[in-house]
Amino acid sequence: MEFLKVNSVTKTFGGLYALKGVSFSISEGEIVSLIGPNGAGKTTLFNCINGIFPFLEGEVFFKGKSLNGFKPHEIAELGIARTFQITRLFSKMTILETMILGQHYHLRTGIWSALLRPRWVSVEEKEAREKGLNILVLFGERLLPRINEFAETLSYANKRRLEIARALASEPELLLLDEPTAGMNPYETEGIIALIKKIRDSGITVFIIEHDMKVIMGASDRIVVLDHGEKIAEGTPVQIQNDERVIQAYMGKRYHHAST
Amino acid sequence: MNLGPVLKKGIGWIIIHGVYILIFGVFVLLPFFLKNPYYIRIFIFIGIYIILALSLNLINGYTGLLSIGHAAFYGIGAYSSALLTLRLGFPFLIALPVSGIIAAIFGYLIGKPTLRLRGIFLTLCTLGFNIIFVLALVNWESLTRGPLGIADIPLPKFFFHTFQRQEHYYYLIFFLVLFTIASIYRLIHSRFGNALLSIREEETAAEAVGVNTVHYKLAAFIISTFYAGISGSFFAHYIRFISPDNFTFWESFTLLAMLAIGGQGNLLGPMVGAFLLIAIPEIFRFLADYRMIFYGLILIFMMLFRREGIFRHRTYSLRITPPWEKKEEAPQYLVRDKFLTDGQFKERSDGVSKS
Repeated sequence: MEFLKVNSVTKTFGGLYALKGVSFSISEGEIVSLIGPNGAGKTTLFNCINGIFPFLEGEVFFKGKSLNGFKPHEIAELGIARTFQITRLFSKMTILETMILGQHYHLRTGIWSALLRPRWVSVEEKEAREKGLNILVLFGERLLPRINEFAETLSYANKRRLEIARALASEPELLLLDEPTAGMNPYETEGIIALIKKIRDSGITVFIIEHDMKVIMGASDRIVVLDHGEKIAEGTPVQIQNDERVIQAYMGKRYHHAST
Repeated sequence: MNLGPVLKKGIGWIIIHGVYILIFGVFVLLPFFLKNPYYIRIFIFIGIYIILALSLNLINGYTGLLSIGHAAFYGIGAYSSALLTLRLGFPFLIALPVSGIIAAIFGYLIGKPTLRLRGIFLTLCTLGFNIIFVLALVNWESLTRGPLGIADIPLPKFFFHTFQRQEHYYYLIFFLVLFTIASIYRLIHSRFGNALLSIREEETAAEAVGVNTVHYKLAAFIISTFYAGISGSFFAHYIRFISPDNFTFWESFTLLAMLAIGGQGNLLGPMVGAFLLIAIPEIFRFLADYRMIFYGLILIFMMLFRREGIFRHRTYSLRITPPWEKKEEAPQYLVRDKFLTDGQFKERSDGVSKS
């Protein structure tokens, strides 16, 4: 039984095939990268796994369970968390509140307990706050000094970090990262690579969309390549580097005028 | 022993709560100083509209939906309370919460099909519902006596005490306003309120972290209509005559204007908005019909110079912190975690990579 299995998923927008029979699988504890030129359908695939887009054909299995027809929040409850390519943060919420919201599913306070406030509610809030702070420690002094500021005041790179932190707060088993290093400089990218490895070591399977070759080659165990909605290659970083079709997809066809 | 911080904390506590005790005291003692029942009447109306504005704020301000038919639920509360006491002989004490619950049931029926959709659908449905509600009141004459309205709604009775004087009503609405503020405050500062905020800010992301957005939107809508129903019930028993004219969508737009002027997304804004929009037409009453011009001018002025209302989103909390008390910060032991310095995870913390 695979951890995550994507079985010939097809997604169309009108008459356009965004994904055409994509299948692959991820086993537990791996870091898998999803690469491909712009418009290849990477984010669409994430949205299909995440339940945002219903898709035409195929099935996604998570730990042997089909995810078809599940709503995004139900999929989140099953243990799949994600970040977004264009950061979607709660701009008028503070960082600490964002971290507490990330644990939403694991907290119990409902309407009545919020109104009556039995003792366990404040205990729960305190624990949630501490857990949120402990996750923010992963990002060092980037987020911790700013816990009471609104998320909208953060810089671009810090917004990306907060998105990862929010996803981690929901204690996922599978983490989908959509271009986590966009807008970061090389030093910061190295930090993210180390972070991704650390996340994996803590038992979370990571599935990344990435353009930065340093991240792809440095962090991932396996790579899946998409082009025009189809999977064109899959394998270890070394295999992918030497794959003719991948090079074609990125660089165009190699002509051999010179030799002939 | 160092008494300094303890003393400071004590003084801070007195100052924080002193403000509220002072405000509370002023409003408790108000009827003793205002001998003119006309002024007390204005304050009672301000109370009614504070409840309505706060309840609408729960939908429009906190959850980020746009309901423009809130007066319908206010009307449902008023009519159900009037009919329950007149036709079925309910005592006021029971009719008050029951009419809130009836309004909430209608809120559920409206919200259930429309809140699944995003965008403008809820807005249109609430407006449509308001118009249909008024038409139903006008035409269902056997139940509502149509445009004639319902008169002679019984005086509220508290056990053996019958409400007759303005002051009695004043203290009742004062209690209801306090109840509304306290309960909404608790709801907002909890996991529930946090979820509502996240829906307003970024619905897709809220779903992706496991917030059941449909459920929460519906819950917020139901709670909000419950308060509107309570407010309507009080209104019916205070005026003792209700007609469909009281609940048209102009009434809803007045509520929206209160949120627009006071500001939404916090508790202070709607209260200030309700106060201003009830007080201003009364202050300029000597101008007769021209006073509505001021009403319009204020709205235009607000739209030009402070579009989010006097009290903007969340910047104003009811929780006052004395300036010398530091805001909660991350504990030092967390900042100096060994993980940062163990070499495996190195990020430059000098100015170079600072973004």
